[in-house]
Amino acid sequence: MTELVQSFLDYFRTRAYRKERRTLPPITFDAVKDRYQYFPYVFSRICEEEVPVLRHPGDEFGFNRTVHVQFAGNGCMNNHTPDYAWALSNGFEEILADLARRADGADEEGKAFYRAATDSIHTLLTFCECYRAEAERAGCDKLARALATVPRKPATTYYEALLFMKLLIFAHRASGVSHLTLGRFDQYMYPYYLASQKAGITEDALLEETELFFISINMDTDIYTGVQQGDNGQSLVLGGCTPECEDVFNELSEMILTASEELCLIDPKINLRVSAKTPLERYVRATRLTAKGLGFPQYCNDDIVIPGLVSLGYAYEDACNYAVAACWEFIVPAVAYDIPNIRTMNFPLVVRKATMECLEGCDTFEDFFSAVKHHILAYFDERRVATSQYEWSKRFHPNPFGSLFLTDCREKGRDAFAFVTKYKNFGIHGLGVGPAVDALMAICRTVYEEKSISKAELLAALENDFRDAEPLRRRLLACPKLGSGDEECEKLMVRMLHFYAGAVNHTPNGVGGIWRAGTGGSQDYVTMSRDVGATADGRHAGEPYPSSFSPSIGVRAAGLLSVIEAFTRPDMKTLINGGPLTIELHTNVFRNEEGIRKVALLVAEFIRRGGHELQLNALHRDTLIEAQKHPEQYPDLIVRVWGWSGYFCELDLPFQNQIISRTDYQL
Amino acid sequence: MKVKRGDFLKGRIFSIEEFSIFDGDGIRTTVFLKGCPLRCAWCHSPEGQKFEMEYLRSPNGCLSCGACLAAGGGRLTAASVDACPRNLVRAAGEDVEPEQLYRRLSRHFDMLNHAGGGVTFSGGEPLAQPEFLYECLCLLRGRTNRGLQTSGYATNAIFSRILGECDLLLFDLKLIDEATHKRYTGVSSEPILDNYHTAAASGKRLLTRIPLIPGVTDTEENVTAICRVMQESNVAYAELLPYNRLAGSKYPLAGRVYDPPFNTEQVPAVRQEIFAAHGIQTKIL
Repeated sequence: MTELVQSFLDYFRTRAYRKERRTLPPITFDAVKDRYQYFPYVFSRICEEEVPVLRHPGDEFGFNRTVHVQFAGNGCMNNHTPDYAWALSNGFEEILADLARRADGADEEGKAFYRAATDSIHTLLTFCECYRAEAERAGCDKLARALATVPRKPATTYYEALLFMKLLIFAHRASGVSHLTLGRFDQYMYPYYLASQKAGITEDALLEETELFFISINMDTDIYTGVQQGDNGQSLVLGGCTPECEDVFNELSEMILTASEELCLIDPKINLRVSAKTPLERYVRATRLTAKGLGFPQYCNDDIVIPGLVSLGYAYEDACNYAVAACWEFIVPAVAYDIPNIRTMNFPLVVRKATMECLEGCDTFEDFFSAVKHHILAYFDERRVATSQYEWSKRFHPNPFGSLFLTDCREKGRDAFAFVTKYKNFGIHGLGVGPAVDALMAICRTVYEEKSISKAELLAALENDFRDAEPLRRRLLACPKLGSGDEECEKLMVRMLHFYAGAVNHTPNGVGGIWRAGTGGSQDYVTMSRDVGATADGRHAGEPYPSSFSPSIGVRAAGLLSVIEAFTRPDMKTLINGGPLTIELHTNVFRNEEGIRKVALLVAEFIRRGGHELQLNALHRDTLIEAQKHPEQYPDLIVRVWGWSGYFCELDLPFQNQIISRTDYQL
Repeated sequence: MKVKRGDFLKGRIFSIEEFSIFDGDGIRTTVFLKGCPLRCAWCHSPEGQKFEMEYLRSPNGCLSCGACLAAGGGRLTAASVDACPRNLVRAAGEDVEPEQLYRRLSRHFDMLNHAGGGVTFSGGEPLAQPEFLYECLCLLRGRTNRGLQTSGYATNAIFSRILGECDLLLFDLKLIDEATHKRYTGVSSEPILDNYHTAAASGKRLLTRIPLIPGVTDTEENVTAICRVMQESNVAYAELLPYNRLAGSKYPLAGRVYDPPFNTEQVPAVRQEIFAAHGIQTKIL
């Protein structure tokens, strides 16, 4: 990286500028005349209070926040994948003219929508002018020159497009959009990249611009809305294919991987679209990024996602254009306002309820499995009906500015929550597949096959959280688990997920779309497991589930190949709301080219076998320290010691400490 | 060694590791056979040395409740595994028939083969269970790539028979001088060198692996002697494994003390220039 980038990165890491931010009191809904005006009003208040400031020579983009405001009351637009290409290629002057034309022929609600959207754009343009003046005063000629045209006019160079993006991110965030994703960044930015290249800008200069931009979009992540810091949806997608199956991974995609690898920042989080045709070298390249311990790239399998979306009713061309919203949910930019994380199927809870309520009366395991299916259906129906009773206009403020970036909203003069977009589907996460299947397996094995535990014994033990029933709990723990290479377990998972997908997919959602089934779980693996009593896999009441689509915590998996074998077995095309298999590897695995190449081979195998989504973590120091404190939760944490691999928790303490200090060097 | 249960041939293994990265080409599964006639001073797998079943107890997280010893009548046994409330006791040793092992491994042939890998037998010393090993290799013939990670310590007859059923050899060369070899490994180097030449002459894919133990195997004299042996066999590539201080980390698990007769703090010498001077390419693992 250049000296300028390094210096800006060092400045960013001090985070000193964040302490200078002022916090405004919450801006209430009462302050505005009509509901469409809430976010335009908030946005204008923020822009009034904001002070244009360029604190470092590397800050070539500005638009960093100097004030922070809590949004009051209702929910915000979220999981938004805007049509950036539309704004970049038109500029706001043309957009304003277009909105004026549309407002002329619109109904009252449409007029209110266009008026509010227009107000927001004027606010933004005024604020951009303040920034231009500040850039001029501060001697930031590059920024001042660019702001003389952008964003009123279309971007013409890569730098102008990056600047345009920065102020769009600023405007969306300041106008109340949470989980704003960057979509297919390497595709819509590519024409501008090529234009700059053609104008003689060197690769090094383009990389520097990319890196300065990436640092710049990390500046305000601490005030972005999310469950945990960093949970802000600021992810982008690289690669993929055209409807003609042409691979579109390009030089810019490559440059973004380089920038991310050099900077090691949390944003942008990178998703890489791959398929069975992806060359191994690309996996090797991406694995070098994984080795940095950032937890990305996340791999998305075009061979599964595209047909999966098509089977849910997405047009083939739209499916080919998919991006990733928030964490792992597949979404189509510009034409979809899907809410892919509106509900969660709590599988272990469902299996527990079926056990407590129905096990006694089930003579065979098949009877019991039918009861589980019944409970899956009932649990989904309860959530589906509750969601259908939402009064959207009361739950969410309209966001006319953000909605402009959805084609149908823009053309029809309606907010995103009016659900006028081509796709408006709801997604349900599938939480705790691992422990749920393990519980089913344990019941099948101990109660029905071996008859080693009676129904009454099991029910009493679950009721009392295994108090005075430790031997029984150990028998449950000893049953085969998902990921331990057991065929029967895997078949049970396939059956359970097949039923779940059939029950969920295509069910109307009450707003003109359908429901989609997924295998994710966001923060729910902690929050939604807290109140769930003991389960038949041997899990105590309140113990957390594994995150996403993974073996249960504490299960000693047979190995990575068995885990991949198991978790690629269901028909993942039917579980296309997303939710990755998550695998954690010690950083030592990546210590040389051979290790990196073999991890790349493993990823390629996962994709070839039909997995839909994969997230690899190179474990770092904090995890190892946690593992020291709670070894029982990390039995599978593998470390490469010397010419051999061992389980971290089985190493003597001084050796563990040595590895921890060594890991620091490796990171 | 062969374990007989009724009329069926069984072997004793102590671990199966999937996705073992440094045990040969491509994605591999490594099967570790229990028992070894050598006692290398730097051995990092104490649970692989004895042929007898053993039980390992992780000291980390141990409540010192004594449940494991109580269940085993004063020592660790199979009953101790179930008795430990924190799941810290595990068996090192499992008797399996070749067909059983084959069935387990076969689940992943598709993945292993597609990724240019296969199965590697390691240990312990796999050649110490020759009948079992031979049966396993025959079952795997034509199904996946078959690797053998070995010290090379066996009669030439046994070695040649096994070699015939291998596709890949990872052969350790530790010490050439007979007396030093005996001192640090407990056995003669003669059959090992004999088998090394046999392996090299076989035309099978051979990866020579050299552990670099400070002051023991990393000396100029030993490295030069290894180079000569490799030259004699026309082998021009070696993989170097520098000693790591974590080699002793499993000993407390097995209730044993790791006290090797060399300075474990010393950084081993990596004498790639000597190899280069003998026309041998090297890679550090």
